[in-house]
Amino acid sequence: MSIETISPWGRRLLHRRSFLRHTAGSLGALGLSQLLQKDLLLGANHDQATIHPDIKPDHPYAPRPPHFAVPAKRLLIIFCPGAVSHVDTFDHKPMLTKLHGQKPPGLPAITFEGPSGNIAKPFWEFKPRGQSGKMTSELLPNLGALADDFCFFHALHTDTSAHPQGENFFNTGMTMEGFPSLGAWVSYALGSENEELPAFVAINDPRGLARSGKNNFGNGYLPAAYQGTDFNAKQPPANLRRPDAYSSRDDRATRMLLAHLNKRHLETYPEDANLAARIASYELAGRMQTSVPKVMEIAKEPVHIHRAYGTDTGSDLKRAYARNCILARRLLEKGVRIVQLFNGSDPSGGNGITNWDSHANILKTHATQAEIMDQPSAALISDLKQRGLLEDTLVAWCTEFGRMPFLQGNGTGRDHNPGSFTCFLAGAGVKRGFSFGQSDAYGFKAAVDRTSVYDFNATLLHLMGLDHLRLNYYHNGLERRLTSVHGHVVRDVLT
Amino acid sequence: MLSRHFNCKVLSKCFNHTAWSVALLMLNQALATDYKLEILPILQEHCLDCHGPDKQKSNLRVDQRVSLLRGGDGGLPSIIPGKPNESHLMALIQSGDADERMPPKGKPLSSDAITLIESWIQQGAPWPGQMEAIENDTPDLWSFQPFERPDPPATGNQAIDAFLNVKLRDAGLSPNDSADARSLIRRASIVLTGLPPKAEQVRGFLQASRLDFQKAYTQMIDAMLASPHFGERWAQHWLDVIRWAESNGSEANLYRKNAWVFRDYVIRAFNEDLPYDQFVREQIAGDAMGAGDAMGFLVAGPHVPAATVGREPSAVRQARADRIDEIMQTIGASIMGVTMNCARCHNHKFDPISLRDYYAMSGIFQDIEFGSRFPELSQDHPRRKRGEALMGTIMAQRASLAESGAWEEDWGAFREVHFPTVRTTSVRIRFNTPKVTLDEVEFFGPEDPKKNLADRRHGTKVAGFPAEGSEGRNPITRLIDGSFGTMTWRAHFSKESEDRPWIQLTFDQVQTLTRFRLSNNREYFYDTDFLLQQPHLPKYDYQLEILEPRGQWQTWVTAKGAGRKQDPQHPERASGLQTIEKLIHKLAQEGPQPSFVGRLIPPSTTRVLYRGSPENPRDEVSPAGPQMLKGNLDLSSTSSGPERRQRFASWITHPSHPLTARVMVNRIWHHVFGAGLATTTSDFGRAGSPPTHPDLLDWLASEFVSPTTPDTKPWSMKHMIRTIMLSKAFQRSSLPSEKGMTVDSGASLLWRYPPRRAEAEVIRDSILQASGKLDLKVGGRSFRIHNIKKTYAQWEVVNNHGPQTWRRMLYQERMRRVDDRMFTAFDFPDCGQVRGQRPVSTTPLQALNLMNSSFTVNQARWIANRARSETEDESVESVVNRCFELLLARKPTGGESNVAQQVARQQGFEVLCRGLINANEFAFIP
Repeated sequence: MSIETISPWGRRLLHRRSFLRHTAGSLGALGLSQLLQKDLLLGANHDQATIHPDIKPDHPYAPRPPHFAVPAKRLLIIFCPGAVSHVDTFDHKPMLTKLHGQKPPGLPAITFEGPSGNIAKPFWEFKPRGQSGKMTSELLPNLGALADDFCFFHALHTDTSAHPQGENFFNTGMTMEGFPSLGAWVSYALGSENEELPAFVAINDPRGLARSGKNNFGNGYLPAAYQGTDFNAKQPPANLRRPDAYSSRDDRATRMLLAHLNKRHLETYPEDANLAARIASYELAGRMQTSVPKVMEIAKEPVHIHRAYGTDTGSDLKRAYARNCILARRLLEKGVRIVQLFNGSDPSGGNGITNWDSHANILKTHATQAEIMDQPSAALISDLKQRGLLEDTLVAWCTEFGRMPFLQGNGTGRDHNPGSFTCFLAGAGVKRGFSFGQSDAYGFKAAVDRTSVYDFNATLLHLMGLDHLRLNYYHNGLERRLTSVHGHVVRDVLT
Repeated sequence: MLSRHFNCKVLSKCFNHTAWSVALLMLNQALATDYKLEILPILQEHCLDCHGPDKQKSNLRVDQRVSLLRGGDGGLPSIIPGKPNESHLMALIQSGDADERMPPKGKPLSSDAITLIESWIQQGAPWPGQMEAIENDTPDLWSFQPFERPDPPATGNQAIDAFLNVKLRDAGLSPNDSADARSLIRRASIVLTGLPPKAEQVRGFLQASRLDFQKAYTQMIDAMLASPHFGERWAQHWLDVIRWAESNGSEANLYRKNAWVFRDYVIRAFNEDLPYDQFVREQIAGDAMGAGDAMGFLVAGPHVPAATVGREPSAVRQARADRIDEIMQTIGASIMGVTMNCARCHNHKFDPISLRDYYAMSGIFQDIEFGSRFPELSQDHPRRKRGEALMGTIMAQRASLAESGAWEEDWGAFREVHFPTVRTTSVRIRFNTPKVTLDEVEFFGPEDPKKNLADRRHGTKVAGFPAEGSEGRNPITRLIDGSFGTMTWRAHFSKESEDRPWIQLTFDQVQTLTRFRLSNNREYFYDTDFLLQQPHLPKYDYQLEILEPRGQWQTWVTAKGAGRKQDPQHPERASGLQTIEKLIHKLAQEGPQPSFVGRLIPPSTTRVLYRGSPENPRDEVSPAGPQMLKGNLDLSSTSSGPERRQRFASWITHPSHPLTARVMVNRIWHHVFGAGLATTTSDFGRAGSPPTHPDLLDWLASEFVSPTTPDTKPWSMKHMIRTIMLSKAFQRSSLPSEKGMTVDSGASLLWRYPPRRAEAEVIRDSILQASGKLDLKVGGRSFRIHNIKKTYAQWEVVNNHGPQTWRRMLYQERMRRVDDRMFTAFDFPDCGQVRGQRPVSTTPLQALNLMNSSFTVNQARWIANRARSETEDESVESVVNRCFELLLARKPTGGESNVAQQVARQQGFEVLCRGLINANEFAFIP
């Protein structure tokens, strides 16, 4: 076998122990180290060699080293489905106040939902915050108060103006469905520090799944082990609890029997990693049955924590979201690698207002969402900071796109704006009190230091110690990666 | 130089076109650009470092004329001799976009240099010494080469083993002995039917095989191939590859009404051993073969419905391109083993597929749209015959009703008003109802019952009020645009307002009219189901007026008149209307049903899309297969849709096509052994893995298309599966050996049969079979496990385990991306992307689901009950034995029996069965 004939598929196998055992004999004189060296050279196609994590079948969540040393050990994503209006929150545009009610030249006649209307000034007042004096709006005062800790991206732009595709694109790097989520990529690469909890937890909004549902935290073509396990403060993972039909003695007896049957079976197939992995998965499931209820014991948190997050003030939805935020912190504390917290669901999730989408009556819809999101999210970030967890936790606050600087059809809302929107990072490895990029004078298009979603994702991976170009998985003809063939790390935001 | 350019421009103003051409020719001869002196230095200075002998970025060399003619990976020719305006090189060196401009670094080319290159291309890009050079057009990719039947090292059924044994010998491996009969029947049964054998079947096979193993084994295989459950098992594989599902995916993830008829078609095709070439032809062009239901294949992938795409024209175009790409992925992955979609934005990075090839092939499918239609059925299809009979009766009833004036029929999807025949050039519908929402208005005459005379494509014009809809964003032109669905005309006035909506249609000539149709969302009615708000057209109050030759409007029909049930002068009217209503209902139940197998639309011209963007249309291309596969089909942009697909289907199923047979026999091999000879079953390109046994693969492909076994039809899938399963390799023991595990632990050389975990479906169906609850009915509507939802809500899995869900999992409603909180965890595909092979992963969620779900609790109890009732003495030992038989088709060993009896005595048989369901052996193909 000459090295040229090794396909990407074969190269992937090279990274697996079973294949190493296999090749050790059949490749004869060709030494393994030589092979691997050439493997690196082969990757030189795109200047970099592909990296596939070394995954042990019986320990799919074992911690694995990053590609390079970074402070970040875990990742918290707060995702706000429905598109948060950047011009009403973090992207201050005085021009909108100046031209309020006018029709500026050069803006399109038709946007996602139809004809566009006149320029509208921000629906909430902007004020300078902290030492940096960062202008943020009164809609999110609690988050605004932390502006000195944040690193804003003001020149983000995306590829689509539809929600589900936008969510897919932001979370999986593809507008279509069926691709691995960022969380899945990270758990595939890094495993977890805590083998008694899932490596990747998706905490869904109390109202239900976002529009792209499971795709936002799915494994796509990666092995199912790397999908986000979804549960929230109210709802434990499906089938976690021992069913009422069985006693704890029944459980012990089942496990004892299982161990006996599997031991005998494994004796027949002593080398089979898949059988061993299945036995290990039952052990992990057993540990999860103890550790997940423990981590969900939110009621045991002290009163001041409940007060800070706001679990007993405001709307029911805010209280429920606040409990989810406490759950997020508890998971991160336990070493869960990625927690993705959703603040919004699909449009039919109940109560009329279910996410940030605000085509009409933005004053009410955004305010409703903000009441739910602001205090608990800010408390979560402050809490992480107080516990020193922000030193090695990366926080990303995101939404799928922005909203238009003008009204929709001269109504009371703003239409989708894929051309410009704002997200922010905080914590491990990222600059504090910093803003990167600028939108144009209206917040209509990203203008200076334009940042694509690919760039943003490449930067997130980089901050987690992963090279977005080299973290690959072979699927259907290609060595694929989160950022497709795009993406540049935004180095300006790194500490 | 500049002056020459200037002169040309001045000259151009002085001559008419012909004279200009002549003059230019003369000028060119006089002022011919010298490649060596004038062009080469520019290229050397600015381009050669990246696109020369040392480096070929984007696979382009500017020092070779053929390379420039072909162009780089972007897929557009760099130069088109004589046409600088269409030459991509010119666009790049002049681009104002810094990301696109060449050269990428440093200053742009000087205007002198640009002018020189332009006139050089204008002159035909003369290039001394390279004018005759042509590109090598024979691909060196193994799978694109024709295959011939290699001589096997031995003959007959032994051929497969002979090929395999050579490689084993080379590797110094000796194959395992034959597996024990118990493992063998379990293996064969799961591979062929997806169900494990019952204890009784195992006993029978053990006895028979002791007498004459070969005979017993062959008979067993033949019986399983003849089982109706064979088709179910193999249909599952095919549905996986094309990511078939019964919902759209995307935000609303709408259910696809009657899409299941395609699933049943696939089951039938496998059970009846439809030759593979015919199977492929019907799925691509079944509309002309009486197998319209087979075309569900083309629309198997996900799509985003219009309402979610939005209204931006560029987003609408992009969405259509995305839908076509889903079709391309389906064809490429399943039939061709080519990742066609890699050539959507640029030439394929690895394989000889160009951007042009992609768009030429996309031209084949331009008449396909995601949606529903009445599938074309063969003349003797029972539904078709029933439908024709019922329609005949309806026509007879209509004839008798015509005497009593206009009447209205409610067809669910639309209301149809029949009125006395009239000739006119224009009609007007005036509504008395203040709120009206319509997606389409149709008029028909007596001549062609299917020709909608209102369609704008027949020259009809529409006007009305409010012309842009009440909200200013629902133009009235949508009423005659030929598309149904959420893109509607909406007129919403308050009751108090004096304004009322009206529509006026003007035909391009005098038309004879007999009926019209109104609907408000026919797409949702035909395409989807299980929504809380079903589309329904309210009873509008209207009057239809016709334009008289003298220019006056005359009322022809009123809603009241058409709606009246009684007519004193025509007492037969009341019963006639009632009969029609019943017949329409009957027809919807018993006749052909609209099914989500794709809609057919007039094909549009196909163009190459630069960088894959519909906003960058370039050269027109004729519908064709890839050039390197000799895919010219003599089609043009005027060829009809069916003609395009039929020619393509014939081309791709030609016995000598290098890919089709190879890909399918490899797929079959994959499903039999758990890994293909080429392990990347849907990628036979350079990025895929080459076959471990190329000769064997070619031998199998040859045997597939021209079988040597007597009385075997070509392309028989059952014959191919049988041939493989009769090999010694399939029958080998799966036990590990030290040598084997050291040299070839993945068993790619097949020294052992590779054992593996069974799929979600096998585990679930095995449990139901053990409890005796499994309903083995073949085919039909899927069983529901989801709620009825709001349009934009997520599907929720309802816990409705019960007799209606105890069918095989293949019949479980297959909604994209929905987690059933049970078997999805076992790598059940989310149907978002094509998937040639399912990954086999092991997660704690699988363990939790199989240990704690109510499904397991209930089934474990029923299995225990069954074991008790089927045991005569009801002793613990006998019941334990029966539990083992029901779940593992064997009795426990001594040690197992002790432990199992202890569990049964202390915790009950339910707990014992729960343990057995979770045992590795239960989920394992030995």
